[in-house]
Amino acid sequence: MTMPDSVDVTWIALIGLALATVLLPPLIPRALLGNALLLAFAALKGHRIALDFMDIRAVPALWRGLVASWILIVLLLAWLASALVALI
Amino acid sequence: MSTAECEQQETGWGILQDLPGDPMIWVLIFSELVAFGLLLGAFSVARAIHPAVFAAGQATLDSHLAGLNTVVLVTSGWAAARATKAVRNGQRATTRYWLLGAMALGCLFIAIKLAEYAEETGRGVGLETNPFFTLYFLLTGFHLLHVGLGIIILAVVCRRAGISGVETGTAFWHMVDLVWIVMFPILYLVK
Repeated sequence: MTMPDSVDVTWIALIGLALATVLLPPLIPRALLGNALLLAFAALKGHRIALDFMDIRAVPALWRGLVASWILIVLLLAWLASALVALI
Repeated sequence: MSTAECEQQETGWGILQDLPGDPMIWVLIFSELVAFGLLLGAFSVARAIHPAVFAAGQATLDSHLAGLNTVVLVTSGWAAARATKAVRNGQRATTRYWLLGAMALGCLFIAIKLAEYAEETGRGVGLETNPFFTLYFLLTGFHLLHVGLGIIILAVVCRRAGISGVETGTAFWHMVDLVWIVMFPILYLVK
């Protein structure tokens, strides 16, 4: 039996996370938690795209760190802004 | 000086040489990520300043159509990644099929996005409606331009289907995919 390709596994994971992003948050009554969940899904999807599609899994950590930092900073800022709105 | 250090000095790209494809595309990718990051940051800050305007604007967007576009673009990225695998295995014809698939899905993304724009502008919404729609059209329009540019780049590298060209073209395509993945929840879903 052949092992599934990492690119195929990533694609299936991305489709699953994309569906979860649209379907799950409306079921969570608290906006802060729902926002955190869907931004966490986005971070996971971005991370998989960077590692397996952009193919930077084996490159020096500096490059992986730069892309991961970009994803985290943009998503964290979005969550902080939404948290600020919810708390005011 | 070691042999590896000598080789790095000869290529002139230093540690950029370790990335797949032409190092110059990575200079462009990181520049684009900075530009999109600043725009998305501006969107988040503006949301905190005008929460009511942003909530009302977001409520009129079609998140299901945008969700469908996410599936389309992710699948296109998968086809591009498959093309990279094929070209590394020396399968030139297979590489072209995967690249054509990626381009076709990219065109479908553009068609869906234009249909979404048509529906929005049909309701009288435009760039100058309010801060939400200014940033929404700027961000999605800028991204849409990159989708178009990405399709052109994939078409160019598809002709020769060489390893370096395909790696370079698909790296740019995955950047476009990555930006949409981050942009989609921020624009359409975060409450």
